[in-house]
Amino acid sequence: MTKATKVSGNIIRKHVTGVLRRIGRPPQESDVMRRILDLIYAFSLVLSAACLLAITGLVAIQVGARVLDKLLRLAGLTPMGWQVLSLPEIAGFLLAGASFLALGPTLKAGAHIRVTMLLRIVSPGLRTIIERAVLAVALAGSLYLAYAMANLVWGSWRFNDLSIGLLPIPLIWPQLPLVIGTFVLFVALLDEAVIHLRSGAFSFGGSEDALPE
Amino acid sequence: MDIVSLSFILLVILLLALAGGLWIALSLGLIGFVGMIAASGVAPYQVMSTAMWQSLTSWDLTALPMFVLMGEVLYRTRLSRDLFEGLAPWVQRLPGRLLHVSVFGSTVFAAVSGSSAATCATIGRIVLPELKRRGYDTSRAVGTLAGSGTIGLMIPPSIILIVYATATEQSVARLFIAGVLPGLMVAGLFSGFLMVWALLNPRLMPPADPPLPWARRLTATLRLLPVMGLILGVIGSIYAGLASATEAAAVGVLLSLALSAAQQSLSWGGFRDALFSATRTSCMICFILAGAAFLTAAMGYTGIPRNLAHWIGGFGLANWQLLMALTLFFVVMGCFLDGISMVVLTTSIVVPMVTAAGFDLIWFGIFIVLVVEMAQITPPVGFNLYVLQALTGRNILRVGLDALPLFLLLLVAVVLLAIFPQIALWLPATMLDV
Amino acid sequence: QTTWDMPTPYPDSNFHTVNTAQFAQDVKDATDGALEIQLHTAGSLFKHPEIKRSVRQGNAQIGEALISLHANESPIYGLDSVPFLVASYDDAKRLYDAQRPALEAQLEKEGLMLLYSVPWPPQGVYAKQLISSVDDLVGKKFRTYNPGTARIAELAGAVPVQIEVPDLPTAFATGRVEVTITSGSTGVEARFWDFVTHYHDTQAWIPRNMVFVNKAAFDALSPEVQAAVKEAASAAETRGWDASRAETERRIGQLKESSMTVVSPAPEALLEGLRKIGAQIAAEWSAAAGEEGAAILSAYNQ
Ligand code: NA
Ligand code: NA
Repeated sequence: MTKATKVSGNIIRKHVTGVLRRIGRPPQESDVMRRILDLIYAFSLVLSAACLLAITGLVAIQVGARVLDKLLRLAGLTPMGWQVLSLPEIAGFLLAGASFLALGPTLKAGAHIRVTMLLRIVSPGLRTIIERAVLAVALAGSLYLAYAMANLVWGSWRFNDLSIGLLPIPLIWPQLPLVIGTFVLFVALLDEAVIHLRSGAFSFGGSEDALPE
Repeated sequence: MDIVSLSFILLVILLLALAGGLWIALSLGLIGFVGMIAASGVAPYQVMSTAMWQSLTSWDLTALPMFVLMGEVLYRTRLSRDLFEGLAPWVQRLPGRLLHVSVFGSTVFAAVSGSSAATCATIGRIVLPELKRRGYDTSRAVGTLAGSGTIGLMIPPSIILIVYATATEQSVARLFIAGVLPGLMVAGLFSGFLMVWALLNPRLMPPADPPLPWARRLTATLRLLPVMGLILGVIGSIYAGLASATEAAAVGVLLSLALSAAQQSLSWGGFRDALFSATRTSCMICFILAGAAFLTAAMGYTGIPRNLAHWIGGFGLANWQLLMALTLFFVVMGCFLDGISMVVLTTSIVVPMVTAAGFDLIWFGIFIVLVVEMAQITPPVGFNLYVLQALTGRNILRVGLDALPLFLLLLVAVVLLAIFPQIALWLPATMLDV
Repeated sequence: QTTWDMPTPYPDSNFHTVNTAQFAQDVKDATDGALEIQLHTAGSLFKHPEIKRSVRQGNAQIGEALISLHANESPIYGLDSVPFLVASYDDAKRLYDAQRPALEAQLEKEGLMLLYSVPWPPQGVYAKQLISSVDDLVGKKFRTYNPGTARIAELAGAVPVQIEVPDLPTAFATGRVEVTITSGSTGVEARFWDFVTHYHDTQAWIPRNMVFVNKAAFDALSPEVQAAVKEAASAAETRGWDASRAETERRIGQLKESSMTVVSPAPEALLEGLRKIGAQIAAEWSAAAGEEGAAILSAYNQ
């Protein structure tokens, strides 16, 4: 097993037991859907983290090359002049990819912030109603966002848009993760909507309201 | 629809969405969407995708997740405990004691980070758990950090000063130098406030440590060496020409990993947790930034900020009145837009106004940074509040309230800057005009 | 009454923006307010790389961009930044005339229509020391920001470094970059004298901006308004070329008044070396641009 799948396996186990405990059912072998969904979130989180590590790695290579050149100059030798081509542009692409790929898993972890102060004041029944209304808006919004990003990629593909830096990179490639990420967000919201309809609360409700102080 | 009723409707929708618990990024996107439907014939989805894409594919912004990751790694090392143990013996007589670490740490870190949210996230991750463990008042710790994080904008490098310099054709070098003294002044105001607060609220302070003999003090101080090595390494990489301000963030990640490897204080599991935690935190912040970018574009179409600024310009105010009106304008706008958007959307109108009034544009840049600093800590749209909600679980309104005294101190700083413009102008004139 | 949104990349005081603002005013006056153009300067609505896309999509109806920004997409967009192809504004105008049909055709593929194109002042070499020949560039950290500048660095034996414009002051101050080629305008606007010492007036190339409209949005205008837009565009082009010449004079003057050493004209040895590099890049451009490119160059050389 690769490290990545081991990591995802751990996260999935945590997710599965956590979610099922909250819904109040014993874990069932037949809950294939749950496993698939959690696998999707885990993979998209791992991909996102990989993007961030890639930024770190590319910058490390760039800075390392400068250190090498500095040493060569000090030794009176010719600098190598190595550079990571289009580093600023590629790092930006990786950042956009990382940000969008993590949207779904971040939602499932309760880490997308919102104001819950007023929800805590109102009666539990009213809170459930408001949260379902908010979910409906969020579902529509995320679907619209996924459509917007798909349209962006379609336009870049149709007109063969290229990046402006040293390397001519077709923009569809760095833009594709935005479509995937927003779609995973939509799926995660749908997932939460089902959980909310069954149990009356979000799966991450506990972690969100707790004040770890 | 006229612009006043549109502004009002958008405001109501925003407040309803936020109060109902709609995620913040989606709330910003929602009013951007409504604004575009109401005020332009353009399909919102196209603007939405372009605005989000162009805001996140930013080289400068890559420093943010790097610094967040650095904070997460350091949080899992002995470093923060070492930092506090090393400083503790020296601050026992200082009113406010270790609370000052937030201000001091943010000020030092500001020399590396050009962003307020990154400063807040990194320093917050290191400082807050330790302050809490030592029994300091959480409200004061959180509020102080929210305010101190904004110093990252004033002390060079600074993203907002670069944006302003480009928009107004001012020298980045001069603006950077001009930011140093006001940044230190703000830090001084915050520290002064902490002293006064600690003297007034002795019961909210944990009991002082028993005095240590000098020998023990010195051994404790030795524990500061790794932190100092880390800070010097990151700052040094910039000034030795080995890394740009953006690249220095990744250098920070590598050095903190090296440090934790040397201390053997980070397991593979710990690294994994740090990485995923940083991934989620930076995703949360970047998603809100993306939503804010779409809202900014939508505001460009509706023309609300532009027209408000025009409206102020129409009064023919005297200089001090203009300055007061602009401060008020930016504080109000700063509640709903992020700082950079505010500057980008209004410079076209505001800069000719202040130029006509005879203000120095370097000085005005520092003024702008101060009001943008305030915008970072005013709800409902304030990025430091979001970072701290993510770090502590405290609601943004609560954090906003915690940060209120620092908001007022920033206002004091504006007044001081207006009365003594030399706070900003003396250093660049001394250093660059020989 | 129609309102167009117009994203532009540069701040209000930039001479391109001043010219464009006058164009917008001319259109408004000539059409009695039937067409109003709302400027969004300094990338405040869309950032520079996204302006062409946003006009193509109709998010904005009209926009302005540096032509060579999109050189990766087609050699046609890269012609005006081939070094030492033109030696003067008159050359640059002839090159524009030769290039214009191909440029229009290229834009038309994206549903865009060229309105007018205005040059930047010629490009000079900024450095922290006197550069008297190409040999002085060997091993120097040379700012590259597109394939063209990267090729210059390579052929000159310099060390290419990628530096974003806002990072330039810090990069010069800390030694991450030693040489950059850009216009006198940029040098004055970004106050280069705070961090470099020498300006060499090499007049290496004369890059241009273009102002273009969404064809569908233009076709939706009444014939009278269309004519008014075209007339204002033609006036803006003439005015812009004159403004660019005046800008060159003014900016060189300002650089001379600054603490910087202005070497004008640039040392002959430097020019000679750069011309050789230019000839090679022009040959490479022609090869990349195929028959169309060869036709443009032969039209220009007549
Ligand atoms: Na800073
Ligand atoms: Na705010």
